[in-house]
Amino acid sequence: MDLEQLWQSTLGEVELQISRPNFLTWLKNSKLTHKENGVVFVSLPNNFAKEWVENKYNKTILSVLRNFDDSAKKVEYVVENKNTSAASAKIIAKQKSLSEVDLRVQQSFAELRIDPETGLNPRYTLESFVVGSSNELAYTAAMAIIKDVGKKYNPLFIYGGVGLGKTHLLQALGNEIKKEYSNKIKVKYVSSEKFTNDVIWAIRNKRMEDIKEKYRLTDVLIIDDIQFIGGKEKTEEEFFHTFNALYENNKQIIISSDRPPRFIPTLEERLRSRFEGGMIADIGFPDYELRMAILKTKLQNRGVSLTDDVIDMIATKVQKNLRELEGVLNKILFIQDNKKTELSSKQVEEIINESIQQPIKNVSPTQVIKAVADYFQVDVADLTGRCRKNTIAEPRQVAMYLLREVLGLSYPSIGEKLGKRDHTTAIYAYNKLSKEISKNQNLNQKIIAIKDIIQKE
Amino acid sequence: MKIIILKDNLREGLNSVVRAVSENNNLPILKNILIKTFNNKIKIIATNLEVAITKIVSGKVIEEGAITIPFSVLNGIISNLDSEKVSLDSKGNSLILKTDNYEATIQSLNEEEFPIIPEIGNTKNHLKINTEVFNDAISKVVNCAQISEIRPEISGVLFDYQISSLKLAATDSFRLAEKTLFDKDFKADFTTGFKAIIPLKTIQEVPRIFREGEMNIYFDSNQVLFKGEDLEIISRLIDGNFPDYDPIIPKTLETESIINKENFINAVRLVSNFSGKVNDVKLKTKEGKKVMEISSATQHLGENHYLVPIKTKGNDFEVVFNWRFLLEGLKNFNSEEIMIGLNGDQRAAIIKSQKDFSYFYILMPIKNS
Repeated sequence: MDLEQLWQSTLGEVELQISRPNFLTWLKNSKLTHKENGVVFVSLPNNFAKEWVENKYNKTILSVLRNFDDSAKKVEYVVENKNTSAASAKIIAKQKSLSEVDLRVQQSFAELRIDPETGLNPRYTLESFVVGSSNELAYTAAMAIIKDVGKKYNPLFIYGGVGLGKTHLLQALGNEIKKEYSNKIKVKYVSSEKFTNDVIWAIRNKRMEDIKEKYRLTDVLIIDDIQFIGGKEKTEEEFFHTFNALYENNKQIIISSDRPPRFIPTLEERLRSRFEGGMIADIGFPDYELRMAILKTKLQNRGVSLTDDVIDMIATKVQKNLRELEGVLNKILFIQDNKKTELSSKQVEEIINESIQQPIKNVSPTQVIKAVADYFQVDVADLTGRCRKNTIAEPRQVAMYLLREVLGLSYPSIGEKLGKRDHTTAIYAYNKLSKEISKNQNLNQKIIAIKDIIQKE
Repeated sequence: MKIIILKDNLREGLNSVVRAVSENNNLPILKNILIKTFNNKIKIIATNLEVAITKIVSGKVIEEGAITIPFSVLNGIISNLDSEKVSLDSKGNSLILKTDNYEATIQSLNEEEFPIIPEIGNTKNHLKINTEVFNDAISKVVNCAQISEIRPEISGVLFDYQISSLKLAATDSFRLAEKTLFDKDFKADFTTGFKAIIPLKTIQEVPRIFREGEMNIYFDSNQVLFKGEDLEIISRLIDGNFPDYDPIIPKTLETESIINKENFINAVRLVSNFSGKVNDVKLKTKEGKKVMEISSATQHLGENHYLVPIKTKGNDFEVVFNWRFLLEGLKNFNSEEIMIGLNGDQRAAIIKSQKDFSYFYILMPIKNS
């Protein structure tokens, strides 16, 4: 007889010996949780039930229990708080003042929808993650992990540029694991910023143990945007220990970053090698087909439609960032909704151009050149000099590309800035890199990293 | 049991426990209260199996004992009696209530039938705080909490104890209030920090019946006990994690405006007369950010607007709030002036006092269409 049957049979007999209201009030939500050395543990919904059952029914229950299972010597009662109470339901009926008001337009704290236990936002699901060639590898790795948590691909390191769906994939993966294993596996999702804050809090309050416990008791740890912990020594150290503790116990670790481990300049060597020891999957720029697919899925989810021309135009024009893609779509839908007419393709084009314009920061050409030189660890003088070695030529072309891309300088002045070169050299470099960037992920990462440096200065 | 008690004392006892008396069809005894002699005093107890309130009143105990009778009957008698003294005498299954010129026989039940009031597991550590200080802190956050079936963890007030400070916070997902008490305000001997969520109904009761003196608060893994000189409330705690609300608190602000509080409250009250079904009032800067216009309009009622002088740092703004939420927040401040900080019309706004940093109120705007 298993525990549940045992308890059901016991309750069946106890029910006959006490009054119905008493049975319903005190024993209805009881459960036999486990048995240990002859002690039977019974959970009850609240302390009142515990006191009552312990004092009034203990004898009855124990004797009935022993009829079914003579190894039972003692019953222990524990309170298992499940927040179910008849009282609270009544109060809701009384609290009418709020519900009379139309709360549909009242915005609520989006952050509160996040599950406090796992840190996951239920909004992200795998169903809404659109798979294409650029993110197929990462997606497949994620699916493999769901089947075999902690054993395959550990750690999983996912990298890709801003707004390409890293966070979506990570959160959806967490949500899916939670669902698949119906909460038996403890998932924890944190941004590296949150992790850093936790470490700082612990240092300040001398509660390092709390943090250790909090993170090391999880079965799946997901850390988003790991590049931000680079250079924060104490946080890196704490993360390193957490990582090892989890890894050695075959707990799944999933990490995301905007670039591969070796391009996170401030990351400690020992962490880098660990990240590289698992599976590294990239999420690249979405191709045209994927962008189309995403737009169509989004439209379908909202139950609205746009003409194929408009969808095509958005997918063609907004290339690099899925968040931007959604933003443009939102804007078009909003304007169309307000004007109540269909937008002409010229209007749509205007909206797109307006939306994807990058805010230009005050960056000087010298800063760009210096950033490039710093990144490739060459001298600025080399870039402007005449040397044509490959180690210098590539950085120089990157510098030309960035001067054009970020600052929009004219070709002659780019040539001028980089050692009085001819404007055709600049044109050649720009065109070459523009083409290569969509094919060569390696180059793309470098460019993103340098742009980052420029932004930060 | 035989006791003689002043009517006023008995009435005070009944008033203290009234909210814990409940209508429960499964267990009719919850409509009853337990009257019990105790060290020459009299205990009056009521419970709804979620919270139990015990009030000790003084009276003359002639014969020890205990009895349980329906609350409503006794309350009805006591509120209409004109005599000063009441004698209660239990005879078998009934309680005889007597004054000089009145006598009633009330059907009663044995004490055995009444739920056993649980005790707190940890009596070693507790927190001691002045009742008025605690009540003031509670009153500043409690109106943000709301009972939610779907989200039990926000159906109460967070009690976040961290050795040197005690934070109280509540939210209904549209607004959030947090009040911090520092260790000068309380004495506690807990060795580690902890968080607990106290059910809304319990915490609402505390300021209602605890009025003065010191209050001791005890915790165990699933219960909280508030204990005064002659009053005890024991309640379950809500199981769950209170949401991590730190990301909600705006770290930077696009606009900060300082406004006279009374002025602001009056303006919101007045203007709200024309607000629509969504309770919307609009706040907008005017005249080079020296004045804020508060306005509302509904098609079939008309429109109105009110101008309030402000001191503004940062951008111009135009933002819509639910006036009830705004008003409830403003009323929680004691200071003469308040600061409202905004980040555009889509993100959370924060209200603070320039003088008192221990409290803030955050609310989300209404979508401005």
